[in-house]
Order: sequence, then structure tokens, then C-alpha cells
Amino acid sequence: MSRGNLILAGALWLVVAFLVIFPLSILVVESFKIAETGGWGIDNYLEFFKDTYYFKTFANTLLLSTLVLLTTTLFGVPLAYILARYRHRGKTIFTALILLPIVLPAFAGVFAFIIFFGKYGTLNLILMDIGLIDTPINFIYGLHGLVFIQSLHMLPFIVLGLSAGFTNIDPSFEEAAEVEGASGYRRFFTITLPLCTPSYLAGAVLVFLWPFTDWLTPLILGQVDFLPSISYLNIAYHFTDLHRKYMGIVAVVVSSIVCISLFLLARWWVERKKYTGLSKGTTSEGRVIEPSAPVKVGAYVYMVLVAILVLLIPIVLGLAAFSRRWVFEPLPTYWTLENFRLILLESPVLIKNSFLYSGIALIFGIAFGLPVAYLIVRTRVPGKDALDFVITLMLAFPGIAIGVSYLLAFWEGIPLAQYWIIMPLALFARRLPYFLRMAHSSYLQLDPSLEEASEVSGAGKLRTFFSISLPLLLKGVLVGVVMFFIMAFQEISTAVFLYKGGWETLPIGIYLNWHRGMEFGIAAAMAFLMIVITFILLLIISRIGGGVLKAAWGAEGK
Amino acid sequence: MAYIEIQNLYKRYKKVVAVNRIQLEVNKGEMLTLLGPSGCGKTTTLRCIAGLEKPEEGDIVIDGKPMLSQGFVPPSKRGIGMVFQNYAVWPHMKLFSNIAYGLKIQKVPKPEIRDRVHQVLELVGLSGLEARYPAQLSGGQQQRVALARALVSNPKVLLLDEPLSNLDAKLREGLRFEIKSLVRRMGITSVYVTHDQAEAMVISDRIVVMESGNVMQIGKPQDIYKRPANKFVADFIGTMNFIEAEVEEILKDSGAVTVRTGFSERMLCRRSDASVSLQPGEKVFASIRPEDVDVFAEPPQGRENMYKGTLAHKAYLGNFLYLFVSLDGTMIRVQVSHHMPEEEGQELYLVLHPEKCMILF
Repeated sequence: MSRGNLILAGALWLVVAFLVIFPLSILVVESFKIAETGGWGIDNYLEFFKDTYYFKTFANTLLLSTLVLLTTTLFGVPLAYILARYRHRGKTIFTALILLPIVLPAFAGVFAFIIFFGKYGTLNLILMDIGLIDTPINFIYGLHGLVFIQSLHMLPFIVLGLSAGFTNIDPSFEEAAEVEGASGYRRFFTITLPLCTPSYLAGAVLVFLWPFTDWLTPLILGQVDFLPSISYLNIAYHFTDLHRKYMGIVAVVVSSIVCISLFLLARWWVERKKYTGLSKGTTSEGRVIEPSAPVKVGAYVYMVLVAILVLLIPIVLGLAAFSRRWVFEPLPTYWTLENFRLILLESPVLIKNSFLYSGIALIFGIAFGLPVAYLIVRTRVPGKDALDFVITLMLAFPGIAIGVSYLLAFWEGIPLAQYWIIMPLALFARRLPYFLRMAHSSYLQLDPSLEEASEVSGAGKLRTFFSISLPLLLKGVLVGVVMFFIMAFQEISTAVFLYKGGWETLPIGIYLNWHRGMEFGIAAAMAFLMIVITFILLLIISRIGGGVLKAAWGAEGK
Repeated sequence: MAYIEIQNLYKRYKKVVAVNRIQLEVNKGEMLTLLGPSGCGKTTTLRCIAGLEKPEEGDIVIDGKPMLSQGFVPPSKRGIGMVFQNYAVWPHMKLFSNIAYGLKIQKVPKPEIRDRVHQVLELVGLSGLEARYPAQLSGGQQQRVALARALVSNPKVLLLDEPLSNLDAKLREGLRFEIKSLVRRMGITSVYVTHDQAEAMVISDRIVVMESGNVMQIGKPQDIYKRPANKFVADFIGTMNFIEAEVEEILKDSGAVTVRTGFSERMLCRRSDASVSLQPGEKVFASIRPEDVDVFAEPPQGRENMYKGTLAHKAYLGNFLYLFVSLDGTMIRVQVSHHMPEEEGQELYLVLHPEKCMILF
């Protein structure tokens, strides 16, 4: 192997060490600090699990995760089956709609559903107007609402994985079962579903980890007894109360440990159980069947219902964005552009910050991701697998862990957090794996002989990279670039710990406007703006990458 | 007695006709092979028998029961065993569960399931591997598992869809004989699909040669080889010299035919079904297999169909030799088993046995 590759690997390891390993180690170290004495020990952890309250948050989070996973699975399995196996019209549009929540910010859904399903939200008001109910029904405040909102947000991950599984498994596996006498449900539960478990599991683990990551949804719904929410409250609001601060840090570490362990467990299991590649010689593109008329109608109704729930998000936010004083009315009556005027004229800095930070994070991402992809795919530098592993682990780390660790690591000593560059750096670190995986897979498709031909013709490695590899990689990489940008653009978990006055981004602006005084109008207008921007970006990828669908498919991970 | 009857079977995919109203009968206990190039409709026919495809027209009768005309009988109710081209051994189940799957559905008592699985594993030579996962087996072993799974429930009919095509040549040859003797011993009526003519010759009681959804010929292996019904069959099975020719005369008494070729005014061909309706002047192919041509260094006396040619080149294939002999520009391939001292360019005499020369279209 060449010296250049070694130097490159060293430089990339330095970046990972400084931006990932160092801050996360500080977080872990800090969790062992004993506040009263300044000594070290496991006292914080003991206290955390002995304290019935904190233990309850832990148990609550596990419960929520379990419920969300059950719900998404229950609703996702038939949905994936319909999308993958039934011949029906509008397949593309339904798939796109059902997968939409992947690219919508999580908080957008919460706001929309509060407006629509809230105590005096649209649905309750309509039901009361027509006299079906006297007192409003509590649709979303409480555990059930939390399960509903988080499930809808995470449903695409189950549907994506499973429908790919349903499409890709060799049809003869099911035919063999059919010939052996297994019909209908029996075949589905003994053959089809078990064969899809690896692809299901990859999505399921991300679903299960979401409640360990999402601090904002419980908070907005008035629920705080969950690990990420309590971490956020303890660290962001009660940092002067050392006990609460340390309990918050422990909560972050505990969440991270749960996430990482489950992630690794699932990865190990999926690797072990990979069924693909075992069978050979099939040409069929899966089994698409023509369902009977009643089944078809049922399938349509089901898809339309899910699609409506998803569509409620942009529609409700749109209504709220263009109106004011939408209170106690099923639909707004006072239409105005005031919200947008306020955003654009009084706080354009939020938009500027959002683009600036995401843009800089993106440049870091490309400058880092391409060389890493090159190292992993094209070289045999020692330790490249470890590099890949560390970066992939970032998929599982809760955003809140990155935010808190940056706050702890870069405040004193290396006072990076006092400069705005910390914002893009944190966004970059948080979304590292996204761009890398995209670059990685397009690199795998690039025939090495194309590069070798360039080197034989006398071009150096660097020249070959810029004149041959990069142009050929560009399409795959561009999709990765846009997805990375969308993710960074929507990031709030990390940024909320690090921002200072003047560094606010759009997601933080949305959060603050809700938080400050129920300024739904402005928050909604900001969220709507973000959705519009996201859509424009998606449209760009679909032009490049062939369909919005593919664009969404690129992002398997959160 | 016909155990499986395929009546007027017609199946198309969009605009492509896969099976064009074919008529077939499989006798009880017989091993019938559907043979043909890819896309000839052999696999589609097999899948129709299994019930994995629904044909547009026609019926399939198994053991007297129609599978289509009185309501579609699904694969799970047809009592068949099937071996798939890619084995389709379920990767998430151990060997035992793979094989026991159908028996469990039939609610066979547990101890009996165990006994039968053990028996069938012994039969296919996989005893002791019950607890393995398919990924821990070789391709050949997986194929045996697929066979065991198809046989364990004593099916009325065994269907095999190119079961050996994913295996390497040596293994394939061994398994051919094994499958044949196993199926013969159990006396199961079976339909075997392959595109490998050698495999079909070895394994079948009767062969059905198919092309573009049509049946070209049905017959015993040696009949199909010795008396191919047409040029396609003759070309697909074995090697054949096709000599462009024009019918000269049909001999009234023997039914034999004389033709005019590029190298001779008169070549005698044997009587065949085709020669009945021949007209003088018709363009045909006088055809002969390479092993039916005799070679002489000196002209032999009193032989019919003897022609002088030039040795163009020789090809050594180990157990035999191909000589390519030019008869006035018409290249004839000759198979000889012994070494020939003749050099390329030397003159030779060929005798094309009249009783082995056929008229084909």
C-alpha cells in the first residue's frame, strides 16, 4: 500500500478522533464524576437507577419503544405487502406518500397533529359541531398520542425494509411451500415473513431506538418522563443544579448504551441471517399478484388512510402558516402573509443560519466522506474497517448525545463551542454516516479498471480521482449530498444544546416560537417553509436520481 | 394408462405464446422428460402441471381428476412433489424442518414424521445432517434436500424443473443416475424438465422435444435419436450432417428416396414417414449422423452412396476423432474411433449408409 493512503488514513482518523471519539469519551468520563467531592465513581449510575423517578423514565422509554415498534410492525407489514405484491394503480404515488415522513422533520408532524387532533383542534371541533360528542376527546395528549405520532414518523423504515424483502425473496421459496401444501396465511407466516426478518430488523432497530432519541415530541405533548426529554430538561434548564445535571448526563449515556447495544445486536443478527445470495438462477422480479376485488378495495382504503394521515402534516401546517388567530375554529378564517413577513423581515437570520450551517457541514461531509469511501473500497489500509465501524455507529447515537458531549468537550480547554463553527461541526458529526454510505455504494459500482486505465495512461492518483472517479461517482454522490443537506437542515437534537443568541436555525426557531408563547402561526410558517425547501431539494434529486422514491430509498437510517 | 393428461394446454404471457395447445400423456410410473432450448415452453408446461401457472385454455387431468375444467385446484391440493431449479430449500429452517414441512401440514403424527424424514434422508444419502442449516451444505447436498422434501410425502407426481442445472458437470452426471434409480424404485410418475439432451437421454423413459411452445416429437430416447421427426429435433439431439438436396425419385417398391446433392447426381436415402408425401424436385435435407459414415483410404467395392472427398481437417476429442471431409465443397463431419494416419489434404472415400440417411425438413 502506498504512503499517501497511510497519510490519508491518519488524517481521517484524526478528524474522527477529534470530532467523534474525543467528545463522546468526555461525555462518558463526565458521567463518572461525583459532583459533591469532585472524585470519580459509579455513584451517579447507582443513584440514577435507585431513584424511582429516573428508573421510571427508563422503563417508560422502553415501554414506548416497544409500543412504537409493535404499532409500526402491525401497520407496516400489510402496507409493505400491499406495496410490494399487489398489482395496483398509483403505486409510485402511494409509495412516495407513505415514505414521506422520512424527509419531513419529526417536529413538523407533532405541530400539525396538535392543531388537527388537539383538545380544541379541528377534528374535535368538527365532531362537537355536528353533535357527535359533547366534550373533546383526548386524541393525542398522553402515551397513546406519543405512540401514534412516533409510529407514523417511523412507519417508513418498517415499510421500506419489508417491501424490499417481499420483492427480493426468491419466488421459488414460496412456490415450494405452495407445492408442499401450505396455502395463504400459513405460507406467509412460515416462509415469507421469516425470510424477510433480516430486512425487517434493519428498519425495526431504528424504530425501536427513536424514542431514545426523540426528546421533542414527548415535550410538546406535555410528557417529560422519558429518557431523552429528561436529559434535555436537566441539562439545558437545570445545569446549575449539579445533581440534575449529572442525572441528565447519565440518562444520555444510558440511552446511548441502549442504542449502541441494540444496534450492534441487530447488525450481528442480520449479518448472521443473511439469506440473500443463497439461492441462484432466478430471473423473476418478485411475485406481483392480482388481488381479488374486495381485497383490492381494502388495500386501497388502507393506503389512502395512511396517506391522508401523512398528508395532514403539510396541509395543516400550510393552513396555519397562511393564517393567524386559528383558535377554536375547525379551519382558519383570517388569512394573512403576516407570518411569512415576520420570518423574512424580522428574523431572516434563521434562514441564513440554516443554509450556512448545513452548507458548511455538507462541505465537511464531502471532504471527509469521499476519501473515507475511497479508503474503504479501494485500499487495504490497516484499520479501515474500524474507521467504517466507528462512523457507522454514529447512525445509532442519539443526537442529544452528540449535542451534550460537544457542550462538555468544547467549552473549556478547547473552547470551540464559543464560536459558531461548532454548529456546522456538530451537524457534520451527527450525519457522518449518511453521505459516507452513499459515496461508498457508488464507489462499489465504479469499475476499478476505469481508474487503472487512467493511471496506466500516466495520470497520478489525485488526477485520476478528479478527472475519472469523481465525475463517474457524481450521480450517486449528489443524491447523498442532497440527503445529507436535508438531514442537516432539519437537525435539532444536536443544535439545541449548542446554539447561542444569533446562531438559531429554522428548527430551533420553530421550537422557540412554540415554547415562548404558543406562536403557532410563526412556528407553522417556519415548518411549512422547511417542508417546501425539502421538497424542492427532493425534486432536484429525483431529477438526478430517477424518482423521488429512489431519493427516499437512499436514506435508510435516522 | 395415462396418469397425467395434458389436454390442449394454452398459455401466454402478454403477447408471447409460451405453450401452444399441446397434447401430452404421462403413463403411470413413467419418467417423462420435457426437453428443449430455453423459451420453448417446457418449464411453463411443468408449472402448469404444478398449478403455479394458470393456463388460458385446456385442462390437466391427474389420476382422473381435472385440475382446471372443474374449478382450479391450487398447488397445495394437487398432491405433487416438486424439485426447483434453484433448490428453493428454505434457508431459515434446518434440514429436518425443511423436509418435515409438508408432513406437518398434513398433520402426520410427530413420531411418524421423524421416521419418514430419517428414511428419506437415508435414501438421498444425507443421514445425520438433520440439524444443519442449508447454508452449511454444498450445492449437491441442497439438491438432495430438495429431492428428499419432494419425496417424503409420497407424492402422486414428482415434478423436476432443471434440478441439476446449477451443479458442476461431474456432480451432475452422478446425480442423474441417482435420481433415475431412486424415482424408478419408488415408482413415482415424474415429469422432468431439462435443456441438456444428454441428461434427457440418460434419465427418461420417454422424451418430449419442444420448441416455441409446440411439441416437436415424443418418443423413447433411442427413437428420437435414430428417427428424429424433423430437422430441429435432429439438430438439437446429437450431431447431424445436413446435406442440401433435391428429391429425384421415390422408389415405389421400397419407399426409399434418391436425391441430387451438390456432390452427387444420386444419393440413396431410406424410407421415412416424410417420404410418403414427397414430390420430385422438392428441396430437402439429406441427413446422416457422423458415426454412420464410413471412411476408406481405398475405394471399397460394391457400396451404395460412396463418394470421394478431401480431408479438410481433423479434430481430436480424446475418445474419438472428428474428420471434416469436403465432398466437392460440402463439408461432412465423420466420427471415427481409431486413429487415422491420413494427413489433411489427402483423398478419402466416404460411404453414407443409405439405411442411415434420412430425409428431413
